[in-house]
Amino acid sequence: MLLYVLKRLAMTILVIAVTSVVAFLLVHLSGDPAAAMAGEGASAADIAAVRETFGFNRPIIVQYLDWLGRVLQGEFGRSYYLRMDVGEVLAERMPVTATLGVAALSFALLLSIPLGVAAALKPNTLIDRFALWLAVAGQALPSFLFALGLMYVFGVYFRILPISGGTSWVHFIMPSIALGYYATPAIMRLTRSGMMDVLQSDHVRTARAYGLSPWRVVIRHGLRHAIVPVVSLAAVQLGFMLGGSIIIESIFSLKGIGYLAWESIQRADIEVIQAILLVIATAYAVLTLLADLLNAALDPRIRIS
Amino acid sequence: MATVFKQPPPKMTLSPARVALRRAARHGSFWVGGTILAVIILAAIFAPLLSAHDPALQDLSQRYIPPVWSEDGSWEHILGTDNLGRDYLARLLYGARVSLLIGFLTILISGTIGTVLGVAAGYWGGWADLIINFVVTIRLTLPVVLVALVVVALVGSSLTLLILVIGLLLWDRFAIVVRSATQQLAQREFVTAARTIGSSTPRILFREILPNITGPLIVVASIELAHAILLEAALSFLGLGVQPPQVSWGLMVAEAKSQLLFRPWMIAVPGAALVLLIFAINLVGDAVRDVTTPEGKA
Amino acid sequence: MSTAPVLEVKGLKVDIPVADDVLHPVRGIDLEVGRGETVAIVGESGCGKSLSALAIMGLLPRSARLSAERIALNGESLTDASPRRWRQLRGDRIAMIFQDPMTALDPAYRIGDQMREILQQHRRVSRRAARERSLELLAKVGIPSPEERLSQYPHQLSGGLRQRVMIAMALLCEPELIIADEPTTALDVTIQAQILRLLRDIQRETGIGLILITHDLGVVAGMAHRIVVMYGGEVVEVGACDAVLGKPLHPYTEGLMRSIPVPGETRRGETLGFIPGIVPRQTGQLAQCGFIDRCPYAHATCAEGPIALREAGGGHLMRCVLPKDGSGRDPQAWIRDTEAV
Repeated sequence: MLLYVLKRLAMTILVIAVTSVVAFLLVHLSGDPAAAMAGEGASAADIAAVRETFGFNRPIIVQYLDWLGRVLQGEFGRSYYLRMDVGEVLAERMPVTATLGVAALSFALLLSIPLGVAAALKPNTLIDRFALWLAVAGQALPSFLFALGLMYVFGVYFRILPISGGTSWVHFIMPSIALGYYATPAIMRLTRSGMMDVLQSDHVRTARAYGLSPWRVVIRHGLRHAIVPVVSLAAVQLGFMLGGSIIIESIFSLKGIGYLAWESIQRADIEVIQAILLVIATAYAVLTLLADLLNAALDPRIRIS
Repeated sequence: MATVFKQPPPKMTLSPARVALRRAARHGSFWVGGTILAVIILAAIFAPLLSAHDPALQDLSQRYIPPVWSEDGSWEHILGTDNLGRDYLARLLYGARVSLLIGFLTILISGTIGTVLGVAAGYWGGWADLIINFVVTIRLTLPVVLVALVVVALVGSSLTLLILVIGLLLWDRFAIVVRSATQQLAQREFVTAARTIGSSTPRILFREILPNITGPLIVVASIELAHAILLEAALSFLGLGVQPPQVSWGLMVAEAKSQLLFRPWMIAVPGAALVLLIFAINLVGDAVRDVTTPEGKA
Repeated sequence: MSTAPVLEVKGLKVDIPVADDVLHPVRGIDLEVGRGETVAIVGESGCGKSLSALAIMGLLPRSARLSAERIALNGESLTDASPRRWRQLRGDRIAMIFQDPMTALDPAYRIGDQMREILQQHRRVSRRAARERSLELLAKVGIPSPEERLSQYPHQLSGGLRQRVMIAMALLCEPELIIADEPTTALDVTIQAQILRLLRDIQRETGIGLILITHDLGVVAGMAHRIVVMYGGEVVEVGACDAVLGKPLHPYTEGLMRSIPVPGETRRGETLGFIPGIVPRQTGQLAQCGFIDRCPYAHATCAEGPIALREAGGGHLMRCVLPKDGSGRDPQAWIRDTEAV
């Protein structure tokens, strides 16, 4: 088991390293970073000055290694626009996005898992068809549309929820739903199919044969097994949500790193963009690692090998 | 004995493709999805015939005319006009063109990349598989929306770039599914048989492997088509996708965002079109999947 | 020992609706198990023996329809029992041991936890009391170092030990009846003998009724008091173990006996008999003998109508028109060179 953990850890580090290279190249080789940062209407002299200051004239490898060195020491550079240390800005905005992500995932799990279990217990009935229909509908609705729809219904029409800002937990309700529902179809389907399989298994038959209460059979002996792949999926979905937060945060004016990314892209604030790409990629890689480890811990069969 | 050969060969039994098509035809969702999709495609193709208006023509004297079903609406502008007086129906129809065009072109690119990688990984295994798996992992670790936004913002927005960026980003699922399908096929007898009779590798790939992965390939293509169209809509919504004077449904929603309070139909119309298109694609994809999965086969 | 039978079943039928038709995997069987009696149900796969067992336990799949004149456990009628009543009885008054102990136990929980779960479901016991009872039973089924086993997971035990654990679990609440469905099929031959001996000893000690379901006649001899032979959803022969094994009256039973090599008797190179054909269709009502397609003695009378069970003396019943005294049979009929069509 320890060997497995170490191997996965090493792989994760490698992935993060290579991803950082790819991200760096993408940012620095897309057009001219100096011209982008200097902005429209900047003179050639201005652009040259920016290039000089930020060292964009150096070979790309040197730029990368320099950046990498700084990052490994905890220095993410300076925001050109905000005139602040990037690390500080990120630390400021991170909690909002983290909260949004967790809330969104919680919403998705709270909705999909019970629905998946119910659908598996009564296949081809009303609840099953409803669950599957919900999944299909969920996949067809883009998050920005859903967000606008929620805003209209709850923010404008019924006026019971705020449509922007992030000062209280109420502000997170609509954004969480808008961000989280997209993971719902996948989680629901996986739970449903996993439950349907496990309910046919021999050990569930044994549990029933010993007169255990239906709740025990379904949850302790059924869901306990079916949920294992769902954990991995949930972690991966959380990673996707971090990437999708940019849209939701922009619509709801939540000051998280997604919104920061959006603002920085518009302002061509290279250092910030770079840092955010790294942070999100790292978060995704770590989440995937956690998912695999949780999988191994929960699945008794993997423990054996 | 010679007389046997003089007779015409017996009628060929239906190929798996024909069987699949027949079974798809009986699938309700195939028809619903297919019809909606066909309608949208035809509407896009025949846009100039369906609306006499130019989608980019601004007429500030005709701003914010509501659709025909409300009080001040008129048949002149069936779906009303937007903030710059442009006919909404025309914009909707031409927007369909953009969505479909971008969608199909991007999956052509991502499908090719993904299939090539997937077949290589699944057929040769070993190092090729390891490396390609690693590449896929890297791709998955990068947040798609963010990367697309960054590249488009820094390079400059054009339709070609948009198609390239999305196409170069959405190949991961293709690779994964094709790899898995190829792995299963590569172990089967007819591939071993082909190798035994000395077929060259490209021949095997083209004649044995590729025809047999079309099922899963179509299913993934439908998923990724929907994904590409949604991504373009999201990018356009954020202002970094399709640029005016070109039309995109995502762009229409963005421009109508400020009207959420007073004129929600301006958001609802392109929104509904988008949802309908994705829904139809998903239905068709689901039908193809149900028809081509092994348990479903007779 | 003139107490009421532990289990009484009359006219048990199981129907399963499929597509436009209905399957009849069990076509009306009678069964009786007395205190301290072992009844073996023998038959090939698909004859309905396992489904009958599930029916008796109230464990049929949702789509199956059960009907019976009478199902009674210790005199209590269960034909109209509620699901709640069934849940109370299962694991408590009537317990089942399954074929494959590897998959029958939940791999995610320790042995001790699974045993305690059963005890706490049916009795109000403390953790400690549950632990003591579990240890007591693990020791009784012959498991060495039971304390260790309690905190182990199923995959840490060998197949034979796992089956012993299953038997221990079945005994936790001192049931009146145990149904063992192919309890030794998944085990090594040497372990098989041990498990069977264990079951027999426990029965002698506690006087529980035991239903032993198997397709292996070798398992039956030495274990069962009575044998019930099933074919095509029906009981085709019933009788005392020695009577049925010594003088099989139904052609199917005879065929089964003929197809087993007997250690010490069957010589190398000797052809074994076999019963040609496959399991019969389960749809439609039987309008003739169910075994007619595979029986070497089949003749016109066999096709005239459904065959009823006939008493052949001493509690030995058979569902056949052939003479009750065992004449008219030819053992060589089972030895053929090729499959007759």
